[in-house]
Amino acid sequence: MSKIFHLSIIMMTLFIIPTVSLAFAAETAGEYIDRKAEIWNLFFRMMTVAFVVGGVIAGTMVWQVWRFRESNPNSKPTEYEEKGEF
Amino acid sequence: MAHSNWAEWIYLGVVTALLIYVGAEAWNIERIIDHAPEDAEIIKVTAQQWFWSFEHEDGTKEVGELHLKKDHAYKFEIQSKDVVHNFNIPEYVVLLDAIPGRINTVWFSPNEAGEFDIQCREYCGLIHYNMRAKLFVEDI
Repeated sequence: MSKIFHLSIIMMTLFIIPTVSLAFAAETAGEYIDRKAEIWNLFFRMMTVAFVVGGVIAGTMVWQVWRFRESNPNSKPTEYEEKGEF
Repeated sequence: MAHSNWAEWIYLGVVTALLIYVGAEAWNIERIIDHAPEDAEIIKVTAQQWFWSFEHEDGTKEVGELHLKKDHAYKFEIQSKDVVHNFNIPEYVVLLDAIPGRINTVWFSPNEAGEFDIQCREYCGLIHYNMRAKLFVEDI
């Protein structure tokens, strides 16, 4: 159940976002597109994605440093540390 | 050591989805922008050190200024007589190289009447800084 659920979330994210985006970006017949608006909107969307990716990566690094610090009550020594090999 | 790795799969899925989204979106917008309407009037743009000249479809020629109509589509055929220049209308985000021996095309439709700058955006020699022209968009 859990595997199917996660796989379906991944697949939906992979295909639904691009499809919806392509559908909304379709041209309106009989009108000229506003080049300036298209280009700047693309830029703002790309910046949003870039900042989201940056935030996720930075957040992951901060979490790792916090979670795996030596003084964390949940941290356990590795098997090498336990044997005194490290 | 056995452990759950669902978080890694979610992470991978989100990153892959974002990359696909970025690629698809950029490709689609580029496709829309490149597609010139069939009724676009062709304007021949010639760059040379250090001025711009324009030729309309009816043969009218202009030097240093360009008169266009609001809400009409125009397709520029850009060429250079000497070195590499770059045809730029900042207000309408039009930007394309003028290369000797080659015709590059870009189209746009001015949706605002007024007076706008045209400039060279590629260093082309001593007077590059002053290789400018005026775009007049008339509301007819």
